[in-house]
Amino acid sequence: MSRSSHSSCFIFLFLSLFLFSFPSNSFAGEIEIEGKQIAHGGNGSPGSIACMECHRLHGGGMPLIGSPRIAGQPRSYIEHEILGVREGTRYAPIMAGVVSHLSRKEIRAVASWYAHVRAPKMPDVSPPDPTLVPLGKRIAQKGLWKKNVPACVLCHGPDGRGIPPHFPYIKGQNKSYLLRQLVAFAFLKRSDDPQGLMRGIARRLSPKERQAVAEYFSSLAPPPADGLPDPKQ
Amino acid sequence: MRYPATLSLFLLVASLSLAGLPPARAGESPRPVAFTPPPDREIPAGPFGDLVRKGEKIFTHTGRYAGKYVGNDLTCESCHLDRGRKPYAAPLWGAYVSYPRFRSKNMKVSRLGERIQGCFRFSMNGTAPPLEGDTIRSIVAYSFWMAKGAPVGTPLDGTGMLRMAPPAHIPDPARGKKVYEARCALCHGADGLGTFSGGEVGFPPVWGPRSYNRGAGLAKVAKLAGFIKMNMPLSKGDSLSDRDAWDVAAYVDSQNRPADPRKKS
Ligand code: HEC
Ligand code: HEC
Ligand code: HEC
Ligand code: HEC
Repeated sequence: MSRSSHSSCFIFLFLSLFLFSFPSNSFAGEIEIEGKQIAHGGNGSPGSIACMECHRLHGGGMPLIGSPRIAGQPRSYIEHEILGVREGTRYAPIMAGVVSHLSRKEIRAVASWYAHVRAPKMPDVSPPDPTLVPLGKRIAQKGLWKKNVPACVLCHGPDGRGIPPHFPYIKGQNKSYLLRQLVAFAFLKRSDDPQGLMRGIARRLSPKERQAVAEYFSSLAPPPADGLPDPKQ
Repeated sequence: MRYPATLSLFLLVASLSLAGLPPARAGESPRPVAFTPPPDREIPAGPFGDLVRKGEKIFTHTGRYAGKYVGNDLTCESCHLDRGRKPYAAPLWGAYVSYPRFRSKNMKVSRLGERIQGCFRFSMNGTAPPLEGDTIRSIVAYSFWMAKGAPVGTPLDGTGMLRMAPPAHIPDPARGKKVYEARCALCHGADGLGTFSGGEVGFPPVWGPRSYNRGAGLAKVAKLAGFIKMNMPLSKGDSLSDRDAWDVAAYVDSQNRPADPRKKS
């Protein structure tokens, strides 16, 4: 092993000690700090809007305007979505203008920031509908195999807490956003999902079933409260 | 004149009965009938119902409820999908009506309980729970309940795994690696060791020390190809070509996994 790789190993060890001993947002690496600046004030190019205008600085989102919470989503998932919006595989006109002028490096930085931060659940537009939550829970935990819909938790992790790096958490996400995504997958406004997995599933659900799973997952607490998967992946 | 008529009637019947079956599934005569297991709400209250529910818990959370017999990161449901109900994933309703049965693996007539012991030893890389103990009894009760109303002696559509027609080419692990990377690595990981979520198993390992051992049914390329063909990628069963299913099975089964316990010294 060469000397330089020794020293980079050392730096890596040192950094990871730091990362693990500061579990939440009390410590941020250089890339997160750059990301925080973009989240807070845009990247300085004319007309650039800061992410925090819609997602808040700590990623809690704004249910009232349909802006999702993004705090603690896996970094590579956040990057993938921003690129999807830019390339048009994900139809999101509000976001498209905002992210069109970011460089790849800035995208990575801002994704690292939001993967790193934690935020409590913001109040939803309406309380969970008790007539639909049980159906949603059944589909989430057991699936609807007669329509070839596996349990959501098989791909989104126990209770929907996510399986990094490709499978986002959906528990504690806001209701109107969840429903809009399911409809978008079903009617092909969102086609950035690997192997069309989510499109197929959303299409096979009825409108009532889509509503029910949105009610159920939005009724849960977001993952940071009970052990989020390692966001750095 | 009578001969040709009977003959053509015979041919007609033969072709009709073949036409309904995709080629890979042919060869099972008489014609299998469909069966749907009863819905959960029909599990009765009382001690029998309790045993059934316990069986289901062990089946879906095997490590949590029968941990001392489990030696890997799988659950029974990892292979018997939809809590043991999915056709072509060796459903329990199909198993219940097929036992006792002669098995060439040990040249014995085995009971359902013994078959379940086999999956613990090989597929779960663990040890066999005692036949008269709670673990086996509750899984048998769960299977019995699930087979409620299933005709006995008539083959049921979707029992066992799909028996693939013999491959047109010798299965090619190198080509299978490409299929794996394109269609499987997303979930099971490029290293096959599974994907984790906050310390719990997210997607199960398909090889390595925490997967099924070499004595398991899926360690046979033909069985694995049939499982993959009908069940993988999850929610996209029957989307791989037969060739892709054979090749990816050959690749997965060429990887490291625990030894067959019958061959350990
Ligand atoms: C003007 C409001 C607005 C601004 C500013 C904005 N977003 Fe968004 N963002 C949205 C909305 C609305 C959606 C949901 C789009 C949809 O419905 O598909 C979204 C979706 C997303 C998603 C997808 C979330 C998921 O779970 O799939 C990510 C990631 C994201 N935004 C990141 C960012 C980042 C990073 C910035 C700053 C560079 C930013 N957004 C700025 C409104 C905004
Ligand atoms: C076979 C795997 C699989 C199953 C089962 C599955 N999903 Fe997904 N889902 C995905 C993938 C992959 C993505 C990420 C798509 C992407 O990268 O854009 C996703 C994304 C989503 C999103 C968008 C999340 C966001 O932040 O924008 C929602 C909402 C969702 N799934 C809901 C569900 C629900 C509800 C169920 C159960 C009915 C379900 N999923 C079952 C694979 C699956
Ligand atoms: C790694 C995959 C795997 C796991 C895990 C697994 N099995 Fe199996 N199981 C199989 C295969 C393969 C067969 C053979 C199916 C065939 O021959 O068609 C089988 C057969 C069976 C059968 C007989 C089915 C029939 O139709 O003959 C039963 C019952 C069974 N398993 C129960 C269990 C139980 C209970 C568990 C958990 C303790 C379990 N299995 C775990 C792969 C698995
Ligand atoms: C969308 C995610 C996903 C994809 C893609 C996927 N699988 Fe799976 N696979 C699963 C899940 C989840 C299970 C366990 C099912 C359960 O527990 O209900 C599973 C189970 C298995 C099993 C049995 C259990 C084990 O770990 O040995 C094998 C073998 C397997 N998959 C092979 C494959 C192969 C080969 C491919 C590619 C052709 C593939 N899978 C693609 C999600 C996936």
